[in-house]
Amino acid sequence: MKEFDIIIVGAGAAGLRAAIAAVRKNLRVAVISKVHPLRSQSVLASGGINAVQDIRNEENGKNAQDRDSMQAYLQDILNCGCGFSDIAAAETLVRRTPSVIKDLERWGCLLNMESDGRFALRRMGVSSFPRTHFAEDKTGLALMHTLYEQCVRLRQNKPDLLRFFDEWLVLKLLVLNATAYGVIALDIINGKIELLAAKSVIWASGGSGRIYGRSSNAMISSGWGLAVPYYAGVPLKDMEFVQFHPTQLLGSHVLISEAARSEGGVLLNRKGERFLALYDDTKDAMELSQHDGISRNIRREILAGRAVDSSCVHLDLREIGAKKIRDRLPGIRELCKTYAGLDPLRYPIPVTPGQHYMIGGIDTNEKAETAIRGFYAAGECANAGIHGASRMGGNALPEALVFGEIAAENAAGYIQARRIKSPGNEFYKNAFEEEKKRIGKLFKTGGQASVSDIRNKLQRNMDEKAGIYRDGMGLVEAAKTIRELQNVYHSDLKVSSEEHRLNYGLIDAIELQGSLDIAEVIVQAALKRNESVGVHFRNDFPNFGGHPRHSILSLSKGKIRIRYIAVGKKAVSGIKGLWSRL
Amino acid sequence: MKNTVNISVFKFDPLKDTEAKFKSYSMPSHGLRTVMDALTYIRDHIDGTLAFRSSCGQGRCGSCAVHFNGRYGLACEMLLSSEKNTVRPLAHLPVIKDLVVDMEAFWEKYEAVKPYLVRSSNDAVLSIEKRLKMNKLVDCILCGACFSACQMTGKNPDFHGPAAYVVLNRFLLDNRDSLREQRLALVKGENGVFRCHQMFNCNEACPKQIYPSENILEIIKIID
Repeated sequence: MKEFDIIIVGAGAAGLRAAIAAVRKNLRVAVISKVHPLRSQSVLASGGINAVQDIRNEENGKNAQDRDSMQAYLQDILNCGCGFSDIAAAETLVRRTPSVIKDLERWGCLLNMESDGRFALRRMGVSSFPRTHFAEDKTGLALMHTLYEQCVRLRQNKPDLLRFFDEWLVLKLLVLNATAYGVIALDIINGKIELLAAKSVIWASGGSGRIYGRSSNAMISSGWGLAVPYYAGVPLKDMEFVQFHPTQLLGSHVLISEAARSEGGVLLNRKGERFLALYDDTKDAMELSQHDGISRNIRREILAGRAVDSSCVHLDLREIGAKKIRDRLPGIRELCKTYAGLDPLRYPIPVTPGQHYMIGGIDTNEKAETAIRGFYAAGECANAGIHGASRMGGNALPEALVFGEIAAENAAGYIQARRIKSPGNEFYKNAFEEEKKRIGKLFKTGGQASVSDIRNKLQRNMDEKAGIYRDGMGLVEAAKTIRELQNVYHSDLKVSSEEHRLNYGLIDAIELQGSLDIAEVIVQAALKRNESVGVHFRNDFPNFGGHPRHSILSLSKGKIRIRYIAVGKKAVSGIKGLWSRL
Repeated sequence: MKNTVNISVFKFDPLKDTEAKFKSYSMPSHGLRTVMDALTYIRDHIDGTLAFRSSCGQGRCGSCAVHFNGRYGLACEMLLSSEKNTVRPLAHLPVIKDLVVDMEAFWEKYEAVKPYLVRSSNDAVLSIEKRLKMNKLVDCILCGACFSACQMTGKNPDFHGPAAYVVLNRFLLDNRDSLREQRLALVKGENGVFRCHQMFNCNEACPKQIYPSENILEIIKIID
């Protein structure tokens, strides 16, 4: 058994930020990740980082309402979130984003700058001012390398404090009397299962997009990362709020960032019309409308027979001009060349909507706390209620960094405030034996159903019945299909080889259970929300019910339990001037 | 045969096999575009034991660098040929199983050049021109393709290799950095930058067109 002060699960933006903060508090930290940190999904984030900076020169002298401010940023989040944002969490994000930019700049992250030495800003959808900081269109990649560099530095300076467990898959979160005590994990390379004990655990496992087939997420975002705490009794929040991104490359579903539209790209149907003008919810902001409105209206164009090749619409960047594309969108151009075989300088890009971001996640608050003592969560796997029912572009990265740091601060406080008693060797031993037995059984099912077959069926089911448009009948069918697939999984699964060492077939089989169970939670939550709001659209209930409330989903005696709580309206400290405007 | 993809993949488990072999697989070509598509198809439908790394599938994470049809690159970016397809693991790194290699030596070299900014006390400002130049270098995804393509990393285990020098040059270009002399001292020795024989294999291998050899030349010019 290995022992640490803090175990961080996941090494994307939130996990690495948490690690930096925790090591600086002189705590012994283990970071466990199923891939090398630089292979995390966070490197795909392209849009940028929202933050309110000092007022620019040209804005001095303007009236307060004509320039960006904390209030304006918060108001944008709340507007986008459709009344479902917890104000304390949203306010915490807004207040702390300037320090995110400051940290990144100090650590050498190369954010784009204007010639006057100020940060370049782009305006993302539903932002009332340009406030999105970016590194070309590869912001996630740039900041992940910067965070990892700082981790390398800390590890060289304090080798006893920071340890990375790369290519380890966490199998179980250890919880006793609603308190977290560590994890059990599988070393993917050598196949050994080990117990890692800790006084506190920070969860930063990222998204679950690959529950869907049409998704821009990395293959590794299987849903297992959310399933592990769910199995341990940690409640999840608003899992029905799945965000679909309107512009993914036809076929591969590689994401074409909102940056392309923010820089001037336009969406066209088969007739060459800017069809967003035809719909009430997108006719004003057009290409900079909320993700979900655009996604829905692309689907409508497809259903109305106005799609290009009956399956997609065109994203046309040609008006932006070659120089701006080369300077600001080189990554997008590269992706189009590789995955669609075309150069956006010369041709429009065929795009279609797909899953992009899980707003739902572990039920947390503005302190990254959960229902379990000593257990914190940050980043996409967490849902502090910031995004409400719809997330603004440019908010995922700052959320990961701000709440990664907050999780570490509060975990450190939790450890220092009390003597944490060990749950005893008996507890560890039993949990360990039980887990080993469970994994051993996976080899011995002797079934016929392949992992990929079950996964493909699940993904198709989710794309078709729990996607951009949902209805009661479809969701009931989706739930039934998932139950059938769960039965096949438990009675007829085939794991390709009995080897423990570097057996990706085994890893896929373990994670598939999580994909199935988290899919079930999403479908049940979507089925029970008889209204349409934000990213959740029900054909059979097209209107909002009028009372924002979070769904809280937990596993109780093998069944999903759903309850509802009011959205938090309380502020932490009160951003000045906000309350009069609300 | 047009509707079929044939691919020959390196299979080797050093704990079990006495020698490495290439195994041939055949599959319907429909929907398969990249080398990664084919490898995934094999693992899903033909041979679940095939070991290879993958994550983002869009050329950003650097998990899947391999040797394919005579060159190094990312499996998720290189397009399948309608004729012959041969996939091998990265070179100069020990094979753990099939296409999965132990990257430790690669990361060691990366960490050896102190790949992080240590600001000097004075608040120097980084010019826009420098930023633009460094922007290209931070495109490096540390996939290891150049390390494997380089003949010197294979011959001399102490040579840092192209990727580490790209990272090093990024920090040498940064006038806010305070470790300049330390960094240069690290690579001055006989196993340092002068070991590079300018064969340009790294330039050809880099999936992000970074041209590591040019960065090495720039470092040599500073030292000389």
